[in-house]
Parts: sequence; C-alpha cells; structure tokens
Amino acid sequence: MGYVSARGGFEAIQAAEELVKRKRVESGSSWLEIDQIVERLQYSVDRVMGEGGLWDEKLAAFAFRQAEGDLIEAAHLLRSHKSTLPRLGYTEVTHVNQIDVLRRIVPAFREPPGPQLLGKTLDYSGRLLEELDEDKARTEAVEASAKRHDNQQVKAEIATNDHDKPRVPGRLLDVLRSMDAVVERRSGADPEPVDISRTPARPGAPRSSLLSTMARAETGALVQLWYRNILGPDNNINEVTLGEVRHGRLPIIVPHPYTDEPVKVGDVRITEVEAIEDLDRSDEDRGRFDVGYGICFGHNERKAIAMANLDVALTREPEGSWLEQSLLMTTDGLDSSGFLEHLKLPHYVTFRSMMERKIATRKAVLDRDKKGEAITSHHALEEKV
Amino acid sequence: MVNWSVQLQDLGCIYGPNDHASADETGPLFGTNVSETYDSVVACWDVNLHASPGEALGVIGESGSGKSTVMRCIAGDQKPTKGDLRLVSVEGGQRNIFEMDDSARRALRIDQLAVVYQDPSEGLDLKISAGGNIAERLTAAGWRNFKDIRDRATELLHRTEVPLNRMDDPVQTFSGGMRQRVQLAKALANKPPVLILDEPTTGLDASVAAGVLDLIRGLLDETGIAAVVVSHDFNVVEMLTRRCMVMHHGRTVEVGLTDQLLEDPQHPYSQKLVAAARG
Amino acid sequence: MKAMTIKDVISVQRNRNQIMDEHTKREIRRAVLTAVAVPGYQVPFGSREMPVSRGWGSGGLQITVAVVGKESVLKVYDQGEDGGVNAANLRRLIRNSEGVKTTTDARKADVIQTRHRVPEDELQENQILVLQVPVPEPLREVERDMNELRRMHAEADYAKIWVSLYEDIVHNGVVMKTTGYPCLIDGRYIIATTPIPRWDVPKLHQAPFLALYGAGREKRIYAVPPYTDVEPLTFDDVPFQVEEVNAVCRSCGCSGMKTDGGEAGYLVELPQQDGSSQWVCSDTDWCNRQLNTYLPEDQDFKAGELW
Repeated sequence: MGYVSARGGFEAIQAAEELVKRKRVESGSSWLEIDQIVERLQYSVDRVMGEGGLWDEKLAAFAFRQAEGDLIEAAHLLRSHKSTLPRLGYTEVTHVNQIDVLRRIVPAFREPPGPQLLGKTLDYSGRLLEELDEDKARTEAVEASAKRHDNQQVKAEIATNDHDKPRVPGRLLDVLRSMDAVVERRSGADPEPVDISRTPARPGAPRSSLLSTMARAETGALVQLWYRNILGPDNNINEVTLGEVRHGRLPIIVPHPYTDEPVKVGDVRITEVEAIEDLDRSDEDRGRFDVGYGICFGHNERKAIAMANLDVALTREPEGSWLEQSLLMTTDGLDSSGFLEHLKLPHYVTFRSMMERKIATRKAVLDRDKKGEAITSHHALEEKV
Repeated sequence: MVNWSVQLQDLGCIYGPNDHASADETGPLFGTNVSETYDSVVACWDVNLHASPGEALGVIGESGSGKSTVMRCIAGDQKPTKGDLRLVSVEGGQRNIFEMDDSARRALRIDQLAVVYQDPSEGLDLKISAGGNIAERLTAAGWRNFKDIRDRATELLHRTEVPLNRMDDPVQTFSGGMRQRVQLAKALANKPPVLILDEPTTGLDASVAAGVLDLIRGLLDETGIAAVVVSHDFNVVEMLTRRCMVMHHGRTVEVGLTDQLLEDPQHPYSQKLVAAARG
Repeated sequence: MKAMTIKDVISVQRNRNQIMDEHTKREIRRAVLTAVAVPGYQVPFGSREMPVSRGWGSGGLQITVAVVGKESVLKVYDQGEDGGVNAANLRRLIRNSEGVKTTTDARKADVIQTRHRVPEDELQENQILVLQVPVPEPLREVERDMNELRRMHAEADYAKIWVSLYEDIVHNGVVMKTTGYPCLIDGRYIIATTPIPRWDVPKLHQAPFLALYGAGREKRIYAVPPYTDVEPLTFDDVPFQVEEVNAVCRSCGCSGMKTDGGEAGYLVELPQQDGSSQWVCSDTDWCNRQLNTYLPEDQDFKAGELW
C-alpha cells in the first residue's frame, strides 16, 4: 500500500536515512575529499554558493558532497545552515571597481580601455570529450602541469595578489558615459539596500531587492526567463550587447570590533556583467543606450549575463509588471523545487474532498437535466444531495 | 437643494506638460488641440455640463473633439488637470468627486455612477456568463441571496432583450449587439442615478444599432436616470437626448435643445455636422 | 536590529541542533502579533530557510519554533496522522531544536502543528493551532496579478470570488470549492483556510483557540484570534456543504455523516481490490480514543496490527 500507511513514521525515516548514508560510502570508490570538490568541481561549488546565498567554498563542498551532486539540495543545505547562524556584523560598502580581475572581456568594443584578459574559459575551445582512458588522462594532465616553469608560479597566481598591484581595468560604463551614450539613471540618492532574507521582495520592491533576488536565483530559471524574453513570447528584451564580463576577487572589509578601522578579512570571487540595451520603444530615449547590471558569487557567467539583461528589462517595465512578478515569484530554486516536490506528500484528505465534489456535481447536473430545468434556486439542490 | 444629478464644471485635461497657459494657444479659434510652445495636447478645456433626473444630455463631436476625454474624466478612467464634478447622490452634491481618492471613486462605480463603453469588453468580463457579469455588480453592492441575484439578473436581461437561454453562456460567445445589451443590463443592476453612454451603438450593424437605441430610449424613460450620451452621430443624439452640446478641438462651441440645434445650428462647426448628418 | 557583538556570540551556548536563532524567533513572534492584531490579514515576514523544503511546512515550522518554550507540549500531525513520515520528521526537528515534550493527544497539547486537518477534539482557550499553508492567497483562482490582488484585499473588493461562486452553482449545480474554502474573517479579510476540508471549517468559527497560519514559501503569516467570526463564503440560500459519506469508520465505527447526530469524523476512502471501498477516520488519535485505547505519551504513535 506504499508509504501512506507507513505509520511507523519515525522508523521509516530512520531506515531511509541509513540507506542514504550507507550509499554514500558503499561501492568500491574512494572517499571524496573536500579539497577535491573545491579544486576539481569549481563550477558546482560556485553555483551552490551562488544559489545558497553564502560565500564559503568548503561549506559549499560539504553540502555538495552530502547532497551527492544535487545542486538545489546543496543550496538548500547552505541556506538552512545560514538560518542557524547569528549575524556578527556587516561589511563596509565595497565598490566593484576594487575588483582584482581573473578574466575580463568587453564584447562591445574591439579594444576597450584597459586590458582584456581571456582568463580561464572554454568559450573558444572545441566541445569534445577528451581522453577517455583514465590512466592516459591522468598522465597527460600531470605532464601538462609539469610543463609550467615551476609550481610556485601557479600557486602565486591563484593566491591573493598581495604583492602586485591588483588588475583593475577601467569600466566600460564610464567610457559610455563620457560619450553621453547612456541614459542617466543615477539620482544621487543612496538608499539602504534591502535584505531580502528579512524583508521579502514583492512587486514594487526597490532595485536592490530585485538584484538580490536575481543574485541567488536558480541559474536555469534566470536563463529561461531571459530566453523567453529575448526570443520567446514575453518580448521584454530587445538587442543586448555586453559591456563588461568579469570574473575576479573583491575584498571583504569590515570595521575592526575595537578600533573601528576598516580591515580586510578575506576575498570573495564574483562574476559581474554589464549589459547594454538598445532602447527601441517610442517613449524611450532612442539616442542613447541603457545599461543593466548582474553580479553573483563565484564564476557563473551565464547567470550574471541573464541577470544583467533582466535588470535593464525590469527598468524599462513599469513597477509591478508581469516580468517583475515572474522574477520575484518563480525564479528561486528552493521555492520552486520545494513546491513542486511537495506534491509527493500525502494529499488524501484533499483528494477525498475533491472526489466528494465530483460526485455532488454529477448528481446535481443529472437531476437538473432529468427535470429539464436550469438551476434557478438552491431548492432544487437540497433535495438531491 | 440642487436639481441636477450630475454637474461638471470647468473641466480641463492636458496630455503632456500641464501648464494651463497651453490652453491659450489651442481650441477652435486656433484650429488645433496641440500647443506648440508647451509640447502638449489640450484634450479638453473649460467644459461644463449637467444632467437632471430623467434627462439625457448629448455630447457630440468628431474624433479629437475631446468628448471621449470628458467621458473618461467623469467615469474616473482618466485624471483631469482641473475641474469640479459633483453627484447629488454623494453628500448632496457638496463634494468634488475629482478630489476623492481612487478607492473611493471605484466605490462610486458600484451604484452611484455607471458607464456603458463603446467596446463592450471594457465593461464586461468576457470569460464569465451574462448573468455572472450582473452578479458581479450585485455582489459588490452586498447582495448575498442566490435566488435574488438570479431573479434580478433574469429581470435585467429580459428587459434588455437578451434571450434567457443564453444567460449562463460566457459573454465572449455573444455577438457585438448582444454584448452591448448585457453591458446595459449590468450598468443598471444597482439602479445608479447617473449613467454615461460612450458611443453606445458605434460598430454595430445598422439594424442591430437601431434595436439597441430603441432599448436605451425605453430604459431612460422608465428608470428616470440622468444620462450623458457621448457620440459623433447626430442621429443617436437626436433619438436619445433632449439637450446637447457640440465639442470641437477640446472646447464646447454650442449648447442647446437637441431639436432646435438640429434644426437651426448657429456655430459654423455645428452647421457642418448637422449638414453631414442630414445629407 | 543591532548586530551581535563578539561577546554576545561567545556567550550564547549554541545547541547544535537549533534550527533558528533567537533574533529570528523574536522577529517571527512580532509578525504573529501583527497578524493577530489584524485578523485575516496576510503579514509579510522574513521567512528563513528551514531544514524542510519550501512547500513542506517551513512556514508552520517557523511559527511553532518561535512560539514554543521548553515546557510546551507539542503535537505534530499530517492528514490527521501522527505517524506520517513528514510529521515525524517535523516533530523530531522541533524536539531536538527546542527540547519540547510531544504528544499525540490533541487535548493535551499546548501547540498543535497540522497539515490539512483541524482536530476532531474541541480545542480549548489556551491552545494554539499552527496550520501549514502551501498557498496563502484565497483569490488565486480568480486573479493572478499581484498588484490587483493587493488592491482587492485593501479595498475589500471581493466581487470576483463571489462571481466564481455564482458561476459554480450555475454551471455545476453546486459550489465546487473543495478544500481551503475561502472564509471571511471578522467581517473584513478573506483567507484561504489552507487545504483543510470543509468538514473542519465550522470548527473555526468563534473558536476558543488561537489559529496561526504559516506560509514559508510565500513568506506570509496570518491569524484568526480566539472568538472571531469565520464565515465560509456562500449565499444565504445555498447551504455550506461538507464532505459526508454514508459509511462508518472501519476501526472505531463512527459515522461519516455530521447530520446523523452522535460521533462523526472526517473519513477517508480505502479502495479495495474487489472494487468496493472501506472508510476510516482521518484523525488517527481521536479515532483510537473512540475505541477506548490509551497510548503512552511522549512516544511516536506505533502501528497496531488491526490498523
């Protein structure tokens, strides 16, 4: 009869949990180390942090391993862990111009001011499965690594750039502004950003709420929303060219608890994107562009690009638009998956109620048809039911 | 004590930068609604009207005359730049309706002021039944008895000559003329003292239009409602109204008894319109 | 809210199983108080991610964790069953986090967290019922635009849902709403009574207990204070119909018809292999007591053979 009659509820859960735990280590493979996950599965770790809304590579790796690779499950683990932690304080405002870039491209110009750094990317490589022989693959990788002059140099590049000047190229948006090519959006106001984990973002929310929502939205959901808007039925995005696409490190600066002086306590890695929208509506300034902004934890370009596109699309729409409602109500991975999967819970109380109404209406309609009369008053109903 | 049901004074509506001075460069004397200096459109300016119980007032003009704007401002679908609107049923006519907030204005539309739109889909929910559209007004007014609701809907649809065997069909399955009848029935559901009709038969076939006009005339006679009938068509205004006003480039150019105005229009623009209607 | 100092953090003794910090509990209690002050109004709150997924009771869980104390006696059940897997999981989480005692007897609980049922027992003044809400918006079927929904609640413009009732009767002969029946609270706001069956709705009217509704995913809390009017939307001349069946519980023998007089419970159907159906009480603990069987407290309900 299935789990509906699993009234030994607690025992059943324990058995299920033991099964999960056993399966994590059974079979012949070695234990999966946290370092392996952080170093070899960077994109999964980054995505878990991005959707979990918490920067901690090790913790994200723990979550990813415990979730056996289920990204949404892992993000959930991070978020619920966050719920158990008290707030110790807040960082100082960090301007994104403090970034130390690992990668920077500017599709809008052939040669933007400041260097373009291809960085670590697969964009221009052939998408082919490489060596499928395990031993060969391992040998080749080790040889390639040994080809570098010395390991120290590699280490220095991935560590924080304490000794050299951080690579901070200029920003394309500043260039466009100096050309008077973008709509002026700066109002001079400096409102406090909204913490969406304390104040739920709802239509009519300020831009900080919208951006925060997108920053930790599910990657696939944002990409889908973008796609429907640029080519699909929703049609709120016209023609976007990307300004900045950057992956880099931002410093985490907090006031010292005793001296109140700003102190750097670490870095986060982020991806940020500027999207330049070609304004095409009759009530817009067709002599200028508008720019949208996207940013998220870790290296996740498709998410930041989708986010930047949607940011400018939201600006063009009136407050409380369908786009805003779709974004706020349907792109959070935990909300959507949780609600979807809740269908697996027993629903027999509600199903019984539905069944009862089906019977009731069939009776009522049958009686009405028999009598050949329209329902003009409830009196007809009372007798039948 | 006032003797009107609805009174509008000094209505002005400007689209664009709403400097009142732009009115000084627009109107029939300038042959345009558009103010070059201020880059705005003076849709209507200095408009006054009133209607008493049992009386129908016509507002005639071609497109661009401002008559639709006047209609929308009274209905609450459009915010005016200036003006004073009163209903005798609201605080004895002491309150300027234009100063009320949106919620309060919406509440008026339940039983103080009804509108029949040129396009029935503006005044109806096409997905629900004819009876359901009327039920919507009745329940908004607090009706809670199913039989009473059903009976009243039946009565109204019967009066507006909608076949009762179609009462439960979704309105989107109805023809244009039939939809207009449902809209009328819905507008009268809560016996409002004031009714606005905007081009009530425009877009309907001639024979269908004639039937609807007949119906409206009968209803106006029966109910003692104060009506404002907005139309470009003199025949409609002649059939339904006792007094009327002619609008051109946003201003009123002539006011008078409908019969007299039709027989002997004074203003050159009125003369043009009458000639076109007759000829 | 002031951030904690390092001293504060060090001084707090963290229970490793605690699923919500104390600041958050306070925040949720404040949202609950607002909800109680405006019966039926959906109060937005900073819903935290919980160890259960959204849609699985995270809202109810947050309310329960915020309102219980160490001395509280807690009942958690789902579809009327204490022994269900999800209820067992929630009960365990709360017990480990807050140290409460648990019971399956609704008469003995201070706080009852429930999914889809209200106890058959008559609850008393000092009891709190926490209901899990998947979708808090009662007007969802007639309107999707959130700005319009906000306006409708603000202006008490509920015409659209009344029309849906009218259309139901006209097309189907009966009101087709199944569970989560829309109810008018204190004559002002309409709420979704979560998916509880119509059978349970009359228990809410002028009830002596406090009902708290938690929607974690949608981030809303609403409440019905004790002795408040809860009126299911229906026309004066169309009786509110509950789910009745001309059958008896195969376990305790109670009737499935409220109209019979005598003990009656909400019965659920168990289709048999031969095409017939048996019926059984949804409220397992209540049903068991109709049989005069007592269970030891503080234990998860264990299945007996006959069951």
